Amino acid sequence: MDFTVNGELRSADVEDDMPLLWVLRDELGLVGTKYGCGIAQCGACTVHLDGMPVRACQVRAVEAEGGEILTIEGLGTPEYPHPVQQAWIDTQAAQCGYCQSGQIMQAAWLLESNPDPTDDEIDAVMSGNLCRCGAYPRIREAIHAAAARLREA
Amino acid sequence: MPRILSRRTFLMTGAAVGGTALVAAVGATGYLASLDVEGLHGGRLDGDDAILNAFVVIHRDGTVVINVPRTEMGQGIHTGLATVVAEELDIPFDDRISVVFPTDAHPAYSAWTNALQVRPEEASGPVAWFGRRVLGQLGMIATGASGSVMGLWHPMRVAGASARAMIVAAAAERLDVPASELTTEDGMVIHAASGRSLAYGDLAQDAALLTPPDEPRLKSREEWRLIGRSQPRIDIPAKVRGEAMFGIDVVLPDMLHASIRHAPVFGAEVAVIRNEGRVRAADGVLDIAVIDGRHVAVVAGSWWQAEQAAWLLDIEWTETGNESETSDSLADRMYAALETDTPHDHIDEGDIESAFAAPDARLVEADYDVPYVTHACMESMNATAVLQNNLAEVWAPSQNRATMRMGVMRGMGWAGVRPDEVTLNITMAGGAFGRRSDLDVVAEASCLAARYPGRPVKVLWSREEDIGRGVYRSQAAARLRAVLGPDGLPSGYDAMVATQSIMNAMSGRNLPVTVGPDGDYLSVEGLEKAHYAIPSRRMRSQNVPSHLPIHFWRSNGYSFNTFFTESFIDECADAAGADPVAYRRDLLRDNPRHLAVLDRVAEMAGWSDPLPPGRGRGIAIEECYRSVVAQVAEVTVSPDGEVRVDRMVCALDAGLAINPDQVVAQIEGGIVYGVTAALMNRITIEGGAVAETNFHDFAVQRIANAPRIEVSIVESDGPPCGVGEPGVVPAAAAVANAIFAATGRRLRSLPLAVTETIGERRTRSVLPAERA
Repeated sequence: MDFTVNGELRSADVEDDMPLLWVLRDELGLVGTKYGCGIAQCGACTVHLDGMPVRACQVRAVEAEGGEILTIEGLGTPEYPHPVQQAWIDTQAAQCGYCQSGQIMQAAWLLESNPDPTDDEIDAVMSGNLCRCGAYPRIREAIHAAAARLREA
Repeated sequence: MPRILSRRTFLMTGAAVGGTALVAAVGATGYLASLDVEGLHGGRLDGDDAILNAFVVIHRDGTVVINVPRTEMGQGIHTGLATVVAEELDIPFDDRISVVFPTDAHPAYSAWTNALQVRPEEASGPVAWFGRRVLGQLGMIATGASGSVMGLWHPMRVAGASARAMIVAAAAERLDVPASELTTEDGMVIHAASGRSLAYGDLAQDAALLTPPDEPRLKSREEWRLIGRSQPRIDIPAKVRGEAMFGIDVVLPDMLHASIRHAPVFGAEVAVIRNEGRVRAADGVLDIAVIDGRHVAVVAGSWWQAEQAAWLLDIEWTETGNESETSDSLADRMYAALETDTPHDHIDEGDIESAFAAPDARLVEADYDVPYVTHACMESMNATAVLQNNLAEVWAPSQNRATMRMGVMRGMGWAGVRPDEVTLNITMAGGAFGRRSDLDVVAEASCLAARYPGRPVKVLWSREEDIGRGVYRSQAAARLRAVLGPDGLPSGYDAMVATQSIMNAMSGRNLPVTVGPDGDYLSVEGLEKAHYAIPSRRMRSQNVPSHLPIHFWRSNGYSFNTFFTESFIDECADAAGADPVAYRRDLLRDNPRHLAVLDRVAEMAGWSDPLPPGRGRGIAIEECYRSVVAQVAEVTVSPDGEVRVDRMVCALDAGLAINPDQVVAQIEGGIVYGVTAALMNRITIEGGAVAETNFHDFAVQRIANAPRIEVSIVESDGPPCGVGEPGVVPAAAAVANAIFAATGRRLRSLPLAVTETIGERRTRSVLPAERA
């Protein structure tokens, strides 16, 4: 099965119904995308599929076949972090960091679709992403900071 | 008869029992006295690494590796402790610094100061000897009790200062000038008089072979350039790129994956797997293994295949006799225990009987309770193990190296293997909250590794196993009584809590000896209220055992006792017709440190500003982990009784804040954790088993409805105190007191706003029935 992952063509010999999460983690070695619940309740496995945020635990491999997949590893580079990643650093948003791949992928999509979200709009889009460290106040702050950075760019 | 044990007596007794075999094995105290336990007398070279001491390694290129023997689980400890080393080493806090969790069990890494509740810089005499020489040898390298900075900030300052002194001494020799003429700056040793300078990287190889100074000079506060200023966290850049390696991310060549099924009713064993043949035939399945007669592991080439096949398992479990236990039956036992007369006595001060018998006594009495809860770390439980040539190596996001090692020995023992050597790698942890000090998943992975020698095995629990088959904070019930004197303040205070002893249950599963329930301070912490001026106080506890695996949970006893006591103090204030802040101010009149925190939080919250109907403020204050923390919750209760926590304001005296921004972050996160437990966390026991399975029925706070949070650090001259747990501690009482202020309704059970379970979970009205 072929996928375009972070701009590269990748192949994996997997069952049709293997979730994209496990294709990425166990077959393609991209472990930045995290397992949290397996039932789309926590958002830790959020990636972009053809430009839309999806819970990779709920996307079967066959549904992602041929698709363009963007994971946390492809969002920015150490030299040129994505503005959302930079805002996460600037606000020191992460604690344990485990949920943050999903949070950042969800936030990156939010700002693509809404360059200046209100707190309520942030809540609406980000409430599927759980954080047990309770970094929510800083996640909100980081999204506003990234939005400002993107508007300036 | 119940015994009264102080914390220290209890811990030393417990630890001494555990240490007996070791002391016997090593023979005499002469041997113990000879051990290097300070970690500062072992400079050596290892290839290009100049190892200056147990904490500091310097490479030829000037990069510095700081050994931080504490688990990074979100609290920023790698950054905080690296900061104090960098400060004394006199180097900038930049990307020349990296942090590793060392794999060896150097005595200097031990958390003995946590166990003995002392600060290393203050410990002396027999306590210091016992801690360093005996406990230090036990490999208890643990991360918890909000104690990592308290326990290591001083030793690691000394390590940094000692390394710097050795580098300066090496430079003095090289330049043939007195060390007193040398200064350090930006990783260089400078001889201003001659204009010469040498880089640390060039000097470290020589320095490592010098004798460390006996007492290196530490910088004074005025000289600090890093401590007390918020340094950016070392681990965050990798975390935002998805590059941080958590336990779940460990990938080894030829690795097997396993998913586990544990008994629904704790303690049951596997009677028979009814459909083993069918599961063995499932895609990718390589084996089915029964671990210790109790757990069933499905082993496959990928975790997804193992997990899919595990769902097919049809397992018959043995009867345990606990199949009819429910949350209610267990709560009934706790309330019944409150009526019995053989509790464990912890404190009996003043004259409690006379206080309550006084003819003009005004009695205030209330019962409270909390449910079971679980940790629900975002990274589910996992461990990876391999056994090759009878050498074991294990990777896990563990909070405790000693229990991790025990897990390896126990798990391999189940497979009939005793490894010659064990190498332990502690990875980043995706949340921990006390959960990861249990050895369970490590033992499982080790058992499987011993079963397939040469093949690494990664065990990952599904979220359903983590929530429904894991370990839990105990349910608890308390009866609080007070008599109010003519001034309205309590003249007598009598507290009893019934719960399952945390120390007893945890040690039974994880330590060589079972300690408690006698003297289990973890179950009563927060009940004491020693900071309140109350002439007669009594504090007692009842251990109510159950079949549930009870464990540490962020802030342990404080997580329920402070809810009980700070709600109760509000009830006393109400009975006295007093304002809750003014009432506490009277009770704290002898404690300026507490008063400063109380006044700060009241001012921040605008305590005396009126609120519209349906809104209310509540306050709670606690002394815990040597910190003093107070919070004001502001809530809105809608006409139909739904509660929303709008704002949490917190003031904190945590002594010196090495990294103020990270202290604030810990408190913010602790508040979210505490408000989550206050409003919605509940584990329900039905038929002896946990009913909740995943995040859809074990609700946790999401970003919507997360309160606005304001944190203020009260300046202090004292040494650093704990900050990982204090944020959690007052939250539930503050919210309950705010609901009382808004509605007149006193809620004495957690969770405050969610009732019912499984399929029927709904928000509870916090209003009385006639008003809802």
